[in-house]
Amino acid sequence: MPLSTFHRQVLGTCAATLLTGGFSTPLLAADITINMAAPDWPPTRFFKEHFDKTYKSPAGHNTTLEMDFIPWPSFYERVAASLTSGEQKYQMIVTDSQWLGSFVEGGYYLDLTEKIKADPELIAIMEDLHPALVSAYSTYPHKSRKQLEEAGSAIAPDTHYYGFPQFPDTYVTFYRKDIFCHEGEAAAFKEQYDATLPCTYEDWQDVDWERYAQIGKFLKRKKGEQLAGETLTDDFYGISYQAGKGYDFSSMQANAFIWQHGGDIWDETNAPEGQAEGVVNSDVAVEAFEHYLSMIPDMPPVAQTGQMDIFVIQDLYMQGKVASTIDWVGLGEPVLDPASSKVHDKSAFGPAPGLRKEDGSIDRTGNIGGQPFVLTTWNSDEVVDEALNVVKWWLDPDTQIEAVSNGGQSGLMSVMADPSYNDLRPWNRAHVEMIDWQKDVWHIPLFFEMLTQQQEEFDKAITGQKSARDALDAVAEFQQELLEDDGFIE
Amino acid sequence: MAKQREIGKAGWGHTAVAGIVGFIYFFPVFWIILTAFKTRTDALEIPPKLFFTPTLDNFRAVFFRSSITSDETAATNFILYFFNSIFIAGTAVLLAMLIGTLAAYAFSRHPLKGNDTYLFIILTTRMMPPIVVIIPIFLMFRLTGLAGSYWGILLLYTAFNIPFSIWLVKSFFDELNPEIEDAARMDGSTDWRVFFGICLPQIYAGLAATFVFGMILTWNEFLFALLLTGVETRTVPVAMARTLGGSVGVDYGLLAAIVTLFLIPICIVTFLLQNQLLRGVTFGTVKK
Amino acid sequence: MTDVAAVHGHAKSGFWARLTAPENRGPLLVAPAIITLFVMNIFPLLWSFGLSFFNYRANRQNVPEFVGLKNFERVLTDEKIWDRFQTTAIIVGSSVTLQLIIGFSLAMLFAKHFPMRRIIMMLVLTPMMLSFVSVGVFFKLYYEPTFGLLSWVVNLFSSEPFALLSSSTGALIGIIFADAWMWSPFVMLLVLAGLVSVPKYLYEAAEIDRVSSWRRFVTITLPYIKSLLLLAILFRTIETFKIFDIIYIITEGGPGSSTESIAVNIYRMAFQNFRTSRSGALAYIILFIVIVLTNLYLYSVNRRAHEETL
Repeated sequence: MPLSTFHRQVLGTCAATLLTGGFSTPLLAADITINMAAPDWPPTRFFKEHFDKTYKSPAGHNTTLEMDFIPWPSFYERVAASLTSGEQKYQMIVTDSQWLGSFVEGGYYLDLTEKIKADPELIAIMEDLHPALVSAYSTYPHKSRKQLEEAGSAIAPDTHYYGFPQFPDTYVTFYRKDIFCHEGEAAAFKEQYDATLPCTYEDWQDVDWERYAQIGKFLKRKKGEQLAGETLTDDFYGISYQAGKGYDFSSMQANAFIWQHGGDIWDETNAPEGQAEGVVNSDVAVEAFEHYLSMIPDMPPVAQTGQMDIFVIQDLYMQGKVASTIDWVGLGEPVLDPASSKVHDKSAFGPAPGLRKEDGSIDRTGNIGGQPFVLTTWNSDEVVDEALNVVKWWLDPDTQIEAVSNGGQSGLMSVMADPSYNDLRPWNRAHVEMIDWQKDVWHIPLFFEMLTQQQEEFDKAITGQKSARDALDAVAEFQQELLEDDGFIE
Repeated sequence: MAKQREIGKAGWGHTAVAGIVGFIYFFPVFWIILTAFKTRTDALEIPPKLFFTPTLDNFRAVFFRSSITSDETAATNFILYFFNSIFIAGTAVLLAMLIGTLAAYAFSRHPLKGNDTYLFIILTTRMMPPIVVIIPIFLMFRLTGLAGSYWGILLLYTAFNIPFSIWLVKSFFDELNPEIEDAARMDGSTDWRVFFGICLPQIYAGLAATFVFGMILTWNEFLFALLLTGVETRTVPVAMARTLGGSVGVDYGLLAAIVTLFLIPICIVTFLLQNQLLRGVTFGTVKK
Repeated sequence: MTDVAAVHGHAKSGFWARLTAPENRGPLLVAPAIITLFVMNIFPLLWSFGLSFFNYRANRQNVPEFVGLKNFERVLTDEKIWDRFQTTAIIVGSSVTLQLIIGFSLAMLFAKHFPMRRIIMMLVLTPMMLSFVSVGVFFKLYYEPTFGLLSWVVNLFSSEPFALLSSSTGALIGIIFADAWMWSPFVMLLVLAGLVSVPKYLYEAAEIDRVSSWRRFVTITLPYIKSLLLLAILFRTIETFKIFDIIYIITEGGPGSSTESIAVNIYRMAFQNFRTSRSGALAYIILFIVIVLTNLYLYSVNRRAHEETL
């Protein structure tokens, strides 16, 4: 193995040079530059702007934040390339929670457990963060919310913590008030289904998938037909949710159906006992997946191509082609912007529908979105400490309120509990209601391989090439073999 | 140059036919350029809008970005990216031409042992899918620290243009009449002077064609640029991806504006050197 | 030192220089090219060849183990890979054929001098100068059932929504059409170069003999451009074999895996799954195929050169 030894040595030397050359002499006040890799979108743009305006280093350092804004579609590839190429460029990184495993195992993301334990301020932050977010954004190996809560303290034993919320995201329902609150349509809906066409937030709280499917059939209209008193110039649809082949643009919604029906994806918090075969393709999971697929025929025709991703449904909604959509809060801001949206003055937001249980309550379990940010492993203590100061600044309630007012979201329970929180942005109430239902998909390094294969099989089911059962069987078989190979299943 | 190629002549009737066909072919590009002047809602309007109130907002957004927290605008790095694209592609193509011309001259005038084998290996490296070499190059850059620097991407693009340059330029050298060079040497000219004074001026057109083709093939390169350039060395095709999904999906207007601007330099180069293109495309295998 | 001597020497006597130059000057002039190519292409290739015998993953810290031919075996026995090769072959075959037909027709159109020829030809050349990203994004938009131009045109004649990319065949057609549109101008230039090289006196002779235009095409034009056409086929085949960006943007390989080419597959393997060694093995199998194609290409070029000297 001459190659690997060689490469290890060179890497080691590079790292050593950087450390000793860069930050060897601790001074009281130092010039510190924090390079941060971030996707190019408003929540991170705000981070930078607000940092430049308000951040003062408590340690008295002269700290500058250099953001590398990377386009979303190539963000993973760029970050992965930077990390694995060993350029050691970034001190902080905004990351999808699913990437934790890959980059922790690679030795790039810094384990913050000891730092947190030693710092009462950080412990206070961890206690205030919503437990669903701590589970999803911070832990690797991944711990479920239940496992963390059973530990009884903010820092659970045998648990390693890495990330903090940069933008906690959930999906909610975007809907058109002018259609859903139209008296004529409401009366017709009442007559047809003996139910209320949801208009207010409270109405939407009572919408389950059955009702949502009815809305889909009811509001699907052809060109030339009437809608809310006007003649349609184009085909119109009532409902939509993500069903796209790219990245995770069907799994995020399909997982919600599977969890709500009582099924499960391969559960890494149970590794190595948890199985894929028999769980992923259980009868319940198949039934849930069929339920997910059953509404797609009533959605806009792009659904048949397997390309109805989170942006396509946003476009369809903003151009007034569909009456409602279930999409990420993070994509809400453009909906209210007249420059990008035809329905900017007609939109309201409600919780995402869920599955009605026998006791009449609705299960809204969903797959969490959004991104944590993490620290990298090659920095001096001084830089790490200053980066943690940045974390504290960001998770300070004042900063968080400011972020939320500018289209961000907070993960702090104290901030979300503030009575004014719901009024800051129109989707906040729905977001707060939804966040309690969130779970996360896999965090292990094999996540991308599993996701790509699953998206492909789901796409076959969505475009009618395969039955739901065949697709899930293929997913289960693939995952079982892959995970056994790597020792995640015994 | 004495024997001009003779091709048929046709009048304005032919122009009309070619014009219609040309425009149909050009239509998808025309629609992109039109989109650059549309607002987002107009860009997605159905029925498609051929007539609309044009806006320059997209072009403004290429160079300036409005702030989230205030009404200020800040300059984007687009001018830097634009410069990077021109600098990196231009320098790499010129470097490749320089290195390639020297080698081509040698292959043509001073054949090595196993000349054809060398030429074959050189061509193979050009024909290889970039994906094949990107993995090891990626690992190599990781060791040498070339990732993110101008040197790294320049070297890479140069290497990718060399095989093409050698093959093309060599075919031009092959066509020259060696007797002229011999005569010059007899008259006491140095090899240096024969090369610069006699050979190079004769293949001026060939060098132009090499340049245009190199530019077209390098100008839009995405994969290497994405993985191996850094913040300061990023090129336009990589930066372009910022229009493909942030808080709003594809920003069609902005993408169209960037594409339109980015077409201008390469179109000018191609237009100016168009006649030489006919020559370059065949890898120089067409002889007079 | 010997070089300097050689330069001086031949300044005095041309004979001497011509004797020594082939030995010294050749290697000297070729050296920069060979060195650059070795560093940036050949060395990485050898490295990757070495890696393909290990189980290395670029995102793991474990020391790679030697696994012999396991990666090759795994890739060659993977049905998926063969399926991707098949998809690639379908795309290459259809796209190159289409490029030839369109490119040939365009070349016939531009084979004459006519007013504004240069400007109109620029219109046709532009697609080739666009980035893959923009071609991908805008063709995807043109195909989109609700917002797409194509779908809108179809809807003028039918009221059913038109979703081209919903079936395997449709998606393949969509990909092939976009790729062929982009690269037909390349073939056009190639054919045009052949057409303009047909000596005019041959046509004049044919006119005197009152030969039909079809016969004139078959007997005069075709022989002149035949080997060039073959060259076009091979060159475009090799290029289209690498097709990646357009597929990745328009369909992401969907629906299902109907349009996933081998290049898309190897990209996922190398950069998303970080199966570095396995992707290296696959890369070598691709390289083998490319070398075979390159040989065919060279063979055709040589044959053409041979024909010309006759």
